[in-house]
Amino acid sequence: MVIRGVGGRIINIMRRTFLIFLLILTLSLLFASLSHAQVQTRLRVFEASNVGTGIDSSLKDMGDQFKSLFSFSSYRLLKEEMHTLYPNQPVSVPVHPGRNIELTLIGQHRKVAEVRVKIKKEQTDILNTQVRLSPGRTVSIGGPKHGEGVIIIALSAQF
Amino acid sequence: MKDSCSSVSKLIEKYFDQEITSKERFFVEGHLQNCPACREALSSMEELRTLIKVPVEEAVRNEDFPWLWQKIERKIRLQEKLTWWQFLRSWLDASPLFKRKVWIPAVVTIGVLLFITAQIFFKEFPSYPDSSVVEYVESETHHVMVYDLEKAKVTVIWLFEGLEEESSTS
Repeated sequence: MVIRGVGGRIINIMRRTFLIFLLILTLSLLFASLSHAQVQTRLRVFEASNVGTGIDSSLKDMGDQFKSLFSFSSYRLLKEEMHTLYPNQPVSVPVHPGRNIELTLIGQHRKVAEVRVKIKKEQTDILNTQVRLSPGRTVSIGGPKHGEGVIIIALSAQF
Repeated sequence: MKDSCSSVSKLIEKYFDQEITSKERFFVEGHLQNCPACREALSSMEELRTLIKVPVEEAVRNEDFPWLWQKIERKIRLQEKLTWWQFLRSWLDASPLFKRKVWIPAVVTIGVLLFITAQIFFKEFPSYPDSSVVEYVESETHHVMVYDLEKAKVTVIWLFEGLEEESSTS
């Protein structure tokens, strides 16, 4: 009677431990597979010009980065959005009147996300490129005129 | 008398265990009637049996032999250097729950999840040199220039007006 009682308890503990282990394993695998196959991207659209000297607080890093390349004195944020990219699922965002930016996650390797970027005006591809985003790296696309300056799109990924 | 006792003492254990022939039984019982020492010896054997029998029977009543046997069997199998599959089977056999078929879908699900996850984790990606941030770039309407400052981690793709105007004028 005593032996059966102890044995039963041990089997119960084993059974519960096994079930909990299975649950944790399943959830962690599910979470790992889902989180691994997606990338959070930050999209900022701003106007750079030489009219005035104001730099929006969220664009101070861009001002510092562009210092050695361009001589703009003003950076004005037009739009800032976060988008989660999933493999081969394009996300389209309007960035300029009549123009959309389309982002597609092509691949991901550790801390590098390979993203295809298309800027479209109606049916025409203004730009078609593929870039690799890594932590701390911002890829900017600029040039088209906007107001008294130019429009710049800054793209970065968060891991 | 002494000779008779010494010859009976060899038979008295067989008599006690009821493993004696009828001829020997007749001889032993005849001797026991006239010999108090041999009757005493037989009586001691009976007392000894009672002393041993009672606790053993009680322990047997309390014992769960099927469970114990499974445990012993598992130990024996382990000593026989089982393969990993046999070891798993013997371990799972310890509980009746594991014998049920309900574990099959659970194991299959885990297997499928492992297979999917393994493909994601072990998928071979090309190794990217840090310097090549822009894989390719093309434009139907603009001239394009790429600025890449590796130290500052700045990459700029700049579109110059030109083709758009040319195409619109032509």
